[in-house]
Amino acid sequence: MGTNYFNSLSLREQLEQLGECRFMHLDEFTDGVDALKGKKMVVIGCGAQGLNQGLNLRDSGLDVSYALREAAILEKRQSWKNATDNGFTVGTYEELIPTADIVLNLTPDKQHTAVVTAVMPMMKKGSCLSYSHGFNIVEEGMQVRDDITVIMVAPKCPGSEVRAEYVRGFGVPTLIAVHESNDPNGIGLTLAKAYAVGTGGHKAGVLMSSFVAEVKSDLMGEQTILCGMLQTGSLLCFDKMIEEGIDAGYAAKLIQYGWETVTEALKYGGVTNMMDRLSNPAKIRAFELAESMKDILRPLYHKHQDDIMTGHFSATMMADWANDDKELLGWRAETAETAFEKTAPGDVEISEQEYFDHGILMVAMVKAGVELAFETMTDAGIIADSAYYESLHETPLIANTIARKKLHEMNATISDTAEYGCYLYNHACVPLLADFMKPLKSDVIGKGLQLDDLGVDNARLIEVNAAIRYHPVEAIGSELRGYMADMKRIV
Amino acid sequence: MVAPVKIEVDQLSVDFDGRFQLHNISWRLGPDEHWLVAGPNGAGKSALAAVLSGVGEITRGSITGVPARVALVSYEAQALLIDAELKKDDADILDVISEGTPVAEIIDQGTVDKALAAELIEQFGLTPLLTRAFRKLSTGETRKVMLVRALASKPDLLLLDEPFDGLDTHTHAMLLQHLHEVVRTTPTVIVLNRIDERPDFVTHIAWVEAGTVAQCVACHDTSAMALLDQLLHLKLGKIALPDPDPIDRLPALHATEPLVQITNASVKYADNVVFDGLSWTINAGEHWQLTGPNGSGKTCLLSLITGDHPQCYVNDIQVFGFQRGNGESIWEIKQFIGYVSTQLQWEYRVGTSLRNVIVSGFYDSIGLYTKPNDTQLAIANEWLAVLGMQHRADESFTQLSHGDKRLLLIARAMVKHPPLLILDEPCLGLDDMNRRLVLALIERISASGNTTVLYVNHHTEDKVIGIERQLALG
Repeated sequence: MGTNYFNSLSLREQLEQLGECRFMHLDEFTDGVDALKGKKMVVIGCGAQGLNQGLNLRDSGLDVSYALREAAILEKRQSWKNATDNGFTVGTYEELIPTADIVLNLTPDKQHTAVVTAVMPMMKKGSCLSYSHGFNIVEEGMQVRDDITVIMVAPKCPGSEVRAEYVRGFGVPTLIAVHESNDPNGIGLTLAKAYAVGTGGHKAGVLMSSFVAEVKSDLMGEQTILCGMLQTGSLLCFDKMIEEGIDAGYAAKLIQYGWETVTEALKYGGVTNMMDRLSNPAKIRAFELAESMKDILRPLYHKHQDDIMTGHFSATMMADWANDDKELLGWRAETAETAFEKTAPGDVEISEQEYFDHGILMVAMVKAGVELAFETMTDAGIIADSAYYESLHETPLIANTIARKKLHEMNATISDTAEYGCYLYNHACVPLLADFMKPLKSDVIGKGLQLDDLGVDNARLIEVNAAIRYHPVEAIGSELRGYMADMKRIV
Repeated sequence: MVAPVKIEVDQLSVDFDGRFQLHNISWRLGPDEHWLVAGPNGAGKSALAAVLSGVGEITRGSITGVPARVALVSYEAQALLIDAELKKDDADILDVISEGTPVAEIIDQGTVDKALAAELIEQFGLTPLLTRAFRKLSTGETRKVMLVRALASKPDLLLLDEPFDGLDTHTHAMLLQHLHEVVRTTPTVIVLNRIDERPDFVTHIAWVEAGTVAQCVACHDTSAMALLDQLLHLKLGKIALPDPDPIDRLPALHATEPLVQITNASVKYADNVVFDGLSWTINAGEHWQLTGPNGSGKTCLLSLITGDHPQCYVNDIQVFGFQRGNGESIWEIKQFIGYVSTQLQWEYRVGTSLRNVIVSGFYDSIGLYTKPNDTQLAIANEWLAVLGMQHRADESFTQLSHGDKRLLLIARAMVKHPPLLILDEPCLGLDDMNRRLVLALIERISASGNTTVLYVNHHTEDKVIGIERQLALG
């Protein structure tokens, strides 16, 4: 294992790389896929990202094939089926890697060291190695041969959506980066841009960032607001409702589908719109709950960000990898045994609005988590655009997985890295919120305020609205959503 | 003995989420009656059937006597189920390819009579599909699953919205035979766009227009039936095709090269072969009809041409001068093709205006992501006029009826005057009047000489004058 790359940088370099993030304009992509035309692209990993990116690249006129381990080919494993059913050339590492001009490593994080170590000696002189996540480079300090160009192209959506949007003639927002220590010919950015065009990403917006900024923000987002807060929130809200005598089936349903419903509002119009879906008294209540939670949880968010920055988090997790995932598997089993996981959603009708009205505490948790994660990231030197994508933007995507099959589904579909971080967060967060939860009643979770009079104090409402609307995540959010909407609905 | 159902609908108005309203409907369905619901596209036929299944919010009037167990088979119900299945798949954050719910489970969800279900599964040829994912089925196969599920639920009222659409001749006949059994015990309401397809057990016809039941006719009343026929044979307006965009023309094609040349093609998966050894040449100006039963690979073959099937890269396919798999992009191919299918309609779920939907045909995109020029907008307006929708240009596409969407997508496909127009069952779900309009439009297009038409259809009676060649699959 190499040494942590980020820690090897000077403070000046660290800040510079953390702060690297720029929304690129469409006219920076006029060369299209030219830089990759006629080049041999070999993909390693044929899961949802690997397969769907490959389909897009090929449909953009590029030469794509798949390198699989010999065993996967001989045993005709799912990855072999995925590639051959889709008419791709499949071969072993030995057959394909030496011919590759660019190797696309689209395997899970945990396999990166093994995969890259195996293929590096076979790679052509002056070829390119591409990642969709920078953990291996930044946290594990993978040393790539000096003659190889190392880039990252990371679509900020699930693989199936990467494909679906391309077929429509559009794309998904994509982050690109070049690893500074591995850009011997200065062509990293040109290749990354062409790759982003090949997947259709340039149409939906490309964020130029650095390996460091991508990793440090991605880890922070996934373990706090995206997965951690939703896990903790699910468990606490469910137990509170049971304690308050609410029907278990109703409680399970309100939570399982509630995250998806309230964060859908987030997707369209940020925290402001999500809060606006509540009545005025409920909004003020949610605001106050969120403020309390932010005060309680701020040190925890800081700790997570600090541990990510120092490399403490990745070191802890890699120690668990080395220990056969003992902690991860233990926590996974523990989650499966919680009351929320074990209770099936009831056969009750809950209208879209009711998810907000009866889920005031859930709305407050989303608000607190998004804002805290965003604040903590930007305080740590990550630029607002990155922080937005890694917090607010991805929350609805994760919430969708809970709607499908609860926490099990969320933890099964996110990466092992995210899952590990999520459990760490949950273990710390549940006790921290114990005193806060104690006095809460079913009016904020389960039954709603049930007020006859929805009157509020004007001054207080103005104050609360202003605090919601003028939070920095709302400013950058409306700007970035604006770019997206501009491109989506041009007229 | 038919269950003695007596439904009374009295001055009923119903709202569907503010998107559509039925108003002031008075209608009596007596015992021993089986109804056909007919009318133009967008009139409210499907809505009326849906009301009997409890959909919609009653804003006025009353409806009584609807039995507790009602089964509805409709495009909307089918689309909802497919939507629900797609939703299950759209959020995999990492590397999981989900398969979706298997057919057996979908059928089992509604089944009351297990023996009947087993028999129907066998009769409808669904046995080999039971373990397949529901959302991976073809349009026709999906429809069959919906039908079996409804019949096996042994409802007290059976509502069938376009039950025959998408079925091949054999399955159509078999379903019809089965329905003759069913109507002995179960009152049935059928929505059909084609009055000529109505089964002979239908005793009454409800003619729906502009959101209300305009007329109720007993089938034995010959003079009333003649009136209804007249309504159906409304004269078609004159159709003149708008020109293509004079500035942004398509690249010229080699005059003597075939548009499409497929040589010895096969489509195979690890565990199944769709077709093998297929060769086909389409020359410019030669119009083709492609036929074959459900699941025979019609759509699959078409998608080899359009480039939507990934195995187009491992077959010997030449399209518009490109030998596939030599660094051409899919958009270089698609620019020469206009394409319409039920699947496109399902995928075209974009809340944009009718005008923009037509303009998106210039860019081969679902939704519009490029700013169109004034000429393109003007051409789109002309097409809207052809369809009689010029006053609705700014309405949202998602709110259109099934039939209106189809017409609009045909205009979208034709807007650039593509060298090849592929119409995959273009009349599926259209009413008589619009079907005639569409067929007339296709005849017109195929006679124009610029566009070669490739037409897929189950209905042998939907012959298009000028389409001489036929390729039969299966």
